[in-house]
Amino acid sequence: MTTLPAHKMLLDTTHEDPTRRAPLVLGDHDFGSVTETVCRIVERPKPPRAWYVAFAVSVSLTGVLVGLILYLFVTGVGVWGVNNPVGWGWAIVNFVFWVGIGHAGTLISAILFLFRQKWRTGINRFAEAMTIFAVICAGVWPGIHVGRAWLAYWLAPYPNQMQVWPNFRSPLVWDAVAVGTYFLVSLMFWYMGMIPDLATIRDRAVTRIRQMVYGLLALGWRGSNRQWLRYERAYLLLAALATPLVLSVHSVVSFDFAVAQLPGWHTTIFPPYFVAGAIFSGFAMVMTLAIPARQFFGLKDIITMRHLENIAKIILVTGSMVGYGYGLEFFIAWYSGNSYESFAFLNRALGPYAWAYWIMVTCNVAVPQLFWFRKCRTNVWVLLGACILVNVGMWFERFVIVVSSLSSDFLPSSWGYFSPTAVDIMMLVGSFGLFFTLFLLFLRYIPMVAMAEVKSVMPQALMEGTGHRPLGDYWGDMPHPEQRHKAVDAEARS
Amino acid sequence: MPPVSGPATGKTYWRSLDELADTPEFRKFVESEFPNFAPELLASPSRRRFLKLMGASLAMAGLTGCRWPKETIAPHGSRPEGRTPGESVQYATAMELGGSAVGLLITSYDGRPIKVEGNPGHPISRGATNAFAQASVLELYDPDRSKGVMQRQGDQTFYRSWDQFAAYARRHFDALRADGGKRLCVLSESSSSPSLADMRERFGRAFPAAKWWEYEPISRDNERLGSVRAFGQAWRTHYALDRADVIVSLDADLLMDHPAAIGHARDWAVGRDVDEQGQRRGTERAMNRLYVVESAHSVTGSMADHRLAVASRRVEAVALHLASCLIERGVAVPSVGNALSRSSRPVEADFVEALAEDLLAHRGRCVVAVGPRQGAAVHALAHALNAALGAVGTTVSYTEEIEPDRPTHAEAITTLSTDMRDGEVDTLLILGGNPVFDAPADLEFGQGLDAVKTVIHLSLFPNETSQRCTWRLSRAHYLESWGDVRAYDGTISVVQPLIEPLYDGKTPIEVLALVIGDQPAKGYDVVRRTLQASSGGADFDTRWRRALHDGIVPGSAWPTAEPPLKRGGWAAELAERVRGGTAEAGQVELVFTPDSHVYDGRFANSGWLQEMPDPLTKLTWDNAAIIAPVDAERMGLRRGDMVRLEAAGQTLEMPVTVLPGQAEGSVTVSLGYGRTAAGRVGNGTGFDAYRLRTVAAMEVVTGVTLTSTGRRTMLAVTQDHHAIDSRVGRRERDKRLGMLYREADLEEYRRHPDFAQHAVHHLPLVSMWREHEYEGHRWGMTVDLNKCTGCSACVVACQAENNIAVVGKEEVDRGREMHWIRIDRYFRGQPGAPQVAHQPVACHHCANAPCEQVCPVAATVHSSEGLNDMVYNRCIGTRYCANNCPYKVRRFNWFNNHKDLTETEKMAFNPEVTVRARGVMEKCTFCVQRINAVKIDAKNEARPIADGEITPACAQACPTQAIVFGELNDAESRVARLQADRRAYAMLGELNVKPRTQYLAKLRNPAQPEVALPGLPKATHTEQTDTEHS
Amino acid sequence: MTQAASTSQESADQPRALWGCLVEFETVEELLAGAEKVRDAGYTKWDCHTPFPVHGLNDAMGIRPTRLPWLVFGAGVTGAAVGLALQYWTNAVDYPLVISGKPLFSLPANIPVIFELTILFAAITAFVGMLALNNLPQWYHALFHQPRFRRVTADRFMISVEARDPKFDPAETRALLESLGGSDVELVED
Repeated sequence: MTTLPAHKMLLDTTHEDPTRRAPLVLGDHDFGSVTETVCRIVERPKPPRAWYVAFAVSVSLTGVLVGLILYLFVTGVGVWGVNNPVGWGWAIVNFVFWVGIGHAGTLISAILFLFRQKWRTGINRFAEAMTIFAVICAGVWPGIHVGRAWLAYWLAPYPNQMQVWPNFRSPLVWDAVAVGTYFLVSLMFWYMGMIPDLATIRDRAVTRIRQMVYGLLALGWRGSNRQWLRYERAYLLLAALATPLVLSVHSVVSFDFAVAQLPGWHTTIFPPYFVAGAIFSGFAMVMTLAIPARQFFGLKDIITMRHLENIAKIILVTGSMVGYGYGLEFFIAWYSGNSYESFAFLNRALGPYAWAYWIMVTCNVAVPQLFWFRKCRTNVWVLLGACILVNVGMWFERFVIVVSSLSSDFLPSSWGYFSPTAVDIMMLVGSFGLFFTLFLLFLRYIPMVAMAEVKSVMPQALMEGTGHRPLGDYWGDMPHPEQRHKAVDAEARS
Repeated sequence: MPPVSGPATGKTYWRSLDELADTPEFRKFVESEFPNFAPELLASPSRRRFLKLMGASLAMAGLTGCRWPKETIAPHGSRPEGRTPGESVQYATAMELGGSAVGLLITSYDGRPIKVEGNPGHPISRGATNAFAQASVLELYDPDRSKGVMQRQGDQTFYRSWDQFAAYARRHFDALRADGGKRLCVLSESSSSPSLADMRERFGRAFPAAKWWEYEPISRDNERLGSVRAFGQAWRTHYALDRADVIVSLDADLLMDHPAAIGHARDWAVGRDVDEQGQRRGTERAMNRLYVVESAHSVTGSMADHRLAVASRRVEAVALHLASCLIERGVAVPSVGNALSRSSRPVEADFVEALAEDLLAHRGRCVVAVGPRQGAAVHALAHALNAALGAVGTTVSYTEEIEPDRPTHAEAITTLSTDMRDGEVDTLLILGGNPVFDAPADLEFGQGLDAVKTVIHLSLFPNETSQRCTWRLSRAHYLESWGDVRAYDGTISVVQPLIEPLYDGKTPIEVLALVIGDQPAKGYDVVRRTLQASSGGADFDTRWRRALHDGIVPGSAWPTAEPPLKRGGWAAELAERVRGGTAEAGQVELVFTPDSHVYDGRFANSGWLQEMPDPLTKLTWDNAAIIAPVDAERMGLRRGDMVRLEAAGQTLEMPVTVLPGQAEGSVTVSLGYGRTAAGRVGNGTGFDAYRLRTVAAMEVVTGVTLTSTGRRTMLAVTQDHHAIDSRVGRRERDKRLGMLYREADLEEYRRHPDFAQHAVHHLPLVSMWREHEYEGHRWGMTVDLNKCTGCSACVVACQAENNIAVVGKEEVDRGREMHWIRIDRYFRGQPGAPQVAHQPVACHHCANAPCEQVCPVAATVHSSEGLNDMVYNRCIGTRYCANNCPYKVRRFNWFNNHKDLTETEKMAFNPEVTVRARGVMEKCTFCVQRINAVKIDAKNEARPIADGEITPACAQACPTQAIVFGELNDAESRVARLQADRRAYAMLGELNVKPRTQYLAKLRNPAQPEVALPGLPKATHTEQTDTEHS
Repeated sequence: MTQAASTSQESADQPRALWGCLVEFETVEELLAGAEKVRDAGYTKWDCHTPFPVHGLNDAMGIRPTRLPWLVFGAGVTGAAVGLALQYWTNAVDYPLVISGKPLFSLPANIPVIFELTILFAAITAFVGMLALNNLPQWYHALFHQPRFRRVTADRFMISVEARDPKFDPAETRALLESLGGSDVELVED
C-alpha cells in the first residue's frame, strides 16, 4: 500500500463517531492483499538489516545470561546481593516483572475476544507471542534463585524415595502450578490460533523445506468448515478458560507476598492490585513492541493508530487503578492501627528506599496521565516514551515491594540494606536479551498478524441480506463495500 | 568468602595417630625408607610422601599397648576397656590466660577434643566459660600453628628435630654454666603454674646469674602496686559480689575483663535473680545495685544501674571526691588524712553524693572495685574505703600475691630491652608471648632482639617474635600438654592432654628441663613431682587421679587474710594529682583495653573470635578508635572514617566507631589487632594500637590529637548498618524498643509485677482451629534479661557445638554472618548517657512457626516434641522461611562455606551435627543432638529425664545462667516455672506465633527513681536517640 | 474418513482412485449460495473450504454443533477432583506433618491448586479434543494434490464432495457443482 487512497480521509480511524464504527483494516485491502502483506514478511529471503543488528545484540545478551547462570550454579546464590534480612532480591523482582508483562497477551487474545473487541485481531498474535516469551523469561528465575537449583523439581508431587510430598500450604507450590498452567495454556492458545496461518504459508511455500516445515506445523489444516466449527468452539473455550486463569495467575503470584506475615507484604489488596499492574505493564510492553513492528514491516494498515490509541486508553485506566492501590495501601496501613504495617509504608516513602518508591510513583501514576490528551494518545513518540517509562516504573514497583519490606521488618536489630551486584544487573539485562531474541525469531518465521482473524473482520467477509448473526458477531457495522468503492471511484474521477 | 583461604597445610593431624613417629625405631624405619627424610615431611608432606609416611606409621602402630595412665596417649589401635567408639567422653583440665586459670571440661570424641565447657567444680568457672575458652578448640587445630623445631642461620631457615635442638642446647647451655649464665636471660609470660615455678627455681640453681623476666601486655600490675601502697605488701583482692547489695566499679570491668570475671558474673547474677516482690529468690535481701564510673563502655558498664561516663584519668578525682563525701558523713577512712577532705574539686557532685549515701546505707554489704587501668593510689584508696565501709571480710577478701616482689611487667620489659641493646644479653629464651609485637613501641624491642646472638622462642604460632629468633620451638597447646595452673583464688588444676601434640610441640616446663638438662624431662613426671611435693604423703596416687578427675586439687586455694592498712603518702599524692588534673582538662585521652576478639593479639588467628560481634560496638574482624557521640558530632566523624591518632610522638591511622556512653574527650582503642604474622586468618585485620603505647603510658595516654584524614574504610558490624539508618527508622526503633525489650525500675515492678504483660496491647489471641497436642516432651527456653550481660560466650559456644561456619569480613558486611544465636544490642536515652539492652535471640521454635507453612518442600516442620526442625537434606533453599521469620534467626549458606577448610580444621567439627551444604537454610535447633543424647541415656537406664539434665551449648556456657532450657510439659521444671513468672513475656507474641522461648523482663535498680541522676535517664519508651549516626 | 485412509494406503500400487469433486468460488456470497444447494441436494460427505471461518456457513451446510464442550466440562471436573484428592491424600493421609500448627487438611489453602488443575485439564482437553475430532494431524490429504486448493488458505472458497458419499456420481455431482456458478469444477483423484 504505497499511496493511501483518498477515502482514508473519510475514515479517520481514531475519530469516534457513535453512528458508524471505523473499519479495522485500512487501505484498499482484499483477502489476497492481506495475505500478501503479512506473509511477505515471513517469506522474503532477507529481513531488513535492522533485524540482524537487533538479533545480534539480543543473542549476545542471552549468552551473557546463560554464562552467568552457569557461574551462579557453580558458585552459589551468594553472587547476588541478597543477604540475611533481604532473602529475595532481583531474581524474584524480575520473575514478577516478566510474569506481569505476559498478562497483556492473554488479556488481548482471551478477554477482548470474549468481549467481542474486534480490533484485537490486528495485534493479538504478537501479543500472545509476547506472553509466551515473557513467561519463558519469568520461568528462568524461580528455578535458579533457589539455593540448590538442581533439586528444584522437588516441588512436584511425585512419589519419591524420601516418601515426602510437597507442602501444599506453601504459596510457592501454588505459584509453580499456576505459572506452569499459564504457560501451557497460553502456548496451546497461541499455537492453535496459528494453525490456519501456518497452513497459509505452507500453501504459499516456494521451497520444499518451507513446505515441509510449515506443513508439519500446520498439521494438515484444510480450512474445511467442519474443522472451522470445532476449531472456533475450542478457541472460544480456551478463551473462556484463559480469562479466569490469567486473573488467577497474578493473584497467586501476589499470594507469595500476601500470605507471608511480613509488614508490607501481608495485604489483602495485593491480588487485584497485582493483576491491574500486570495488565498495565503488559499493555505498555505490547505498545513498545507494536510501534516499531508496524513501522518496520509496513503494517500500519492492519495495526492502525486506533489500535495504539485503544491500548493507550487501557494503560491510562489500569495505571490509575495501580495508583489507587498505592494510595489505599497507605490508608489501610494507617487505618489498621498496626504499627508494623504503618512503619513499613512510611519507610517506603521516607526510608532508605525512598528513591525507588518515588521513581515507581512517577512512572506508574504520573506518566500515564498524559493519555488523557488525544494528542499524546496519537503521537507514536509520546506513546513509545511513556510506555517504556511505565515498564521501568513497574519493575521498580516489584523492587519496592520485595526489597523494602524485607529490609526492615520486625526487629530493628536485623534491619539490613540490599545492594545489587554486577551479576544481578547483568542477569536482568540478559533476560531482556532472551526476550528479544525469541521475539525477533518470531517476527522472522511466524506470521505476526492473525490473517484468518483479520480477514474475518474485513468488509468482504460479510454478505448482505442474510439475517445470519452467528456466534462471535464477527463483522461490525462497517461502511458498505459499495459505498467504499463509490468513494474510491469518486476519488479516481476527480 | 571463608577467611581460611591460604595454602592448605599438610594433613599433619595424623600425627595424633602415628604417635610412634617420634620414637627412635620409627625414625630409623622411615629414614631407611627414604634417606632424605626430614621432619618437614610432618610439616607439609606432599600427598604421596604423606601416604608413605602413613603406611609406615600404621605399620608400627600395632607395636604399642600404651594405655592410660601411661604418659603418652594411645591411638585406638586396640580398644581400651570402658571406651565405646563414637561415644564422647569429658576430661577435666584448665586454660590459663594472663596468669590465672579457668577450669574446664573438654568433650573428646574418639580422641579428638571437640568442645570446651566449664568445670562445675571449679571455683572460678563454676560450669561456665568465656568466649576465649570456647574458641581454644579451634586454636588447637589451627593449621598455622608452628610445627616442630626450626633454626635460622643467616637468612635461611631449616627444619630441625627436637633431638637436634637438645644436642644444641646441651652444648650451648653447658658453655653458659661457666659464668652462671650472666649473659643469659629468660622472658616468660606470667604464669601461675607451680611446676613452672619449680622448674624456674631449678633453672635459677643451674644459672644463678641468669635473669628471668616476666611480661604481659595486658597487665594488672597497678592492682599489685596499689596493695603495696596500701598494705606495704602485694595482696590480691577478691570480691564476693553475691554478698554485696551495692557494687561500685571505678573503671573496673568486673564481669568481663578480670581473671575471675566468670565467677564475678555468676555472683552478680545471684543478686539479680529476683522474685515477684523484687527480692532475691528465697531471701529477704534486695536486688543488688551496680554503679559504674568509666570512660569506655564496658560490659559491666552496660549492666549498671547508674553509670557515670568520665574520662579515664578523671576517675581518680571521682574516687577521691567519694572518699571526702564519706569522710564528711563521718566515715573514718583509714590512712586518708582529713587533709584530703575538700581538697578535691567536686566532680559530678550529685552522683557522688548519692553514691556516698547509698554506700553508707549498705555498710558491710558493699564493694568498691577499681580497674587495672587506674593508678596505684586509686587502688590504695579503694582498699581504704572497703575497710572503712566494713566490706573487708564480708564482700572483700585478700590473699597473698605469688612472687610478691617481682618487678612490674613494664619495668621488666624495659630493663630487658635496655640490656639487650647494651649487648649484655647473649642468649635469650622466650617462653611464649610475642614481645616484638606487643612490647611498648618506644622500646623498639625488635631491634634490641637483633642485638642478641641466640634467641630461642617457644611459641604456639610462628609470630612476629619467632620470625626474628634463631630457634623456633613449637609450643604444645594446653589441650595437648601436661601442666598445672592456679585459678585466681589459688586453686590448683592439673592440665592434662586430650591429644598427642599435633605439631610436635613441647611445654615451657619441658623446654626448661631440656635446657638445664634436668630429669625427669617429661611434663607428666614434672607435674606429678610438683604436686607430690606440695601435697605429697600417703596414697598420693588416689589424690592424683582424683585431681585429674575433678579438675581441681581440693584445698589448694590460698588462705584469705585481712592485712592491716598502713599509712602512706599516697593519699596526699593522689590529692595533688587531682588538683594538677585540672591542668590537662580538655585534652583528649587515649585508653588501651584488651580486645574482645583477640585479647592482647594472641587469638588473632581464630575465626570464631574474629567473627564474634563485640558486645558493645558489634564490630567484627576489626578494632576501631571508639569516640563519644558528642566528639563525633563536633569533628563530623562517622563510623568508618579514618583518623590519625598522635600520642607521645607515635602516630597511627585507624577508623573510628561512635559508641554511645563513651566519655567525652576520651578515645578507646583495643590492643592486639594489626598483626602481620598471625596466620592466614589474623593477618591484616585491624590496626596495631601497640604502636601508640609507651612505657610511660601503658594504660592511658593524655594529650592525644585526633585528626580526620578524610578517607573511609569498611567496618563489618552486625547491627546498625548505616545504609538503613534513616530518620524514620530511628524513630520507629525507639518506639518498638519498649515492646521488644521490656524493662522497669524495681519500684515500678513492685507496684506492677506484671508490667511486662502490658507492654504491648493487642487483640486477644484466639486460634481458628484446635491446637496440636504435644504429649511427652515439649521443650522450651527462657532468657533472663536481668542477668544477660551480653558477654557473647553463648555465641561462640553455639558456633563450636553446631559447626557454624565462619564467613569473613566482607560477608559479614553483606549481612551474611551465620551465628545461630545473636545478641541484639540497643541503646536508649541520651547518646551521652544511654541505657543498654542486651537481648540474646535464637530460634524461638514457635508453636505456630511462620517459617513452616511457606516452605514448598516441607523442609522445616514441627517435631512431636515441639521443636521447629530444619531438614537440611530436604531443603532446596528458597529462603522463603527466612523472609517469613519475624525474629530473623534463620541463616542461609550462600556459598559452600566449608570449601577451604583444611583437614586439621575439620577435626574441630562436632560429629553429632551435620555440616551444612551450600544452598541450605540453617538455624538454632535447641541443640537437638544434646536432647537426644540425654534421651538415649535416660532410656537405657529406664529413668525419666531429670530437669536441667539437658543444657544447650548456649545455656551451658552462660556465666550468669541467664538461659534456662527444659521441659514445658512438666509444670515443676525450672523453665516452666520461669515461664509462669510474671516477668516472663513472649517477644512479638502479638503475632500469635506462640514462641517457645520467653524472656524475663529486665529490671533496673536506680537509687532514687524520682531524681534523675546523671547516667540514668528515666526508662521511658518514647525518648529519641540518635545513637546510630555512626 | 477412515475409509479414505485405507484407500489412500492402497493408492500406492493400483491406478489412483477417484476421491471426489471440487469447485471454487471468488466470494463468500457465492459460497454460501452454493453450499445451500449442495445441502439441499442431500449430500452428506461433503465440505466447504475457506481461508477464515465464514458465518452462516454452518446453517448453509446444515451441520450440527460439536460435542467438544461436554468433553471439556468433564475434564474440568476431573481436574478439580484430582486436585482435591491429591492434596488431601498427600498432606493429610499419606505423610501428615505438623506445619505452623495448622490443621492437617484445610480447604482454603488447597483452593489455588484445585483451581489451576481444573483449568489445566479443561484447556488440554479443548486443544487435544479439537485436533482429535478434526482428525488432525493429517499430513496427507488428496486435496493437497490440487494446485488450486492452495489458495483456499489465502483468498478462495471451495466446495468439495467426496466420492464415498452414497449419492456421489462423477457426472451428476460434477454437473451439480458446475450449476453453482463456481469456476473450474474438477474431479480429484486420491
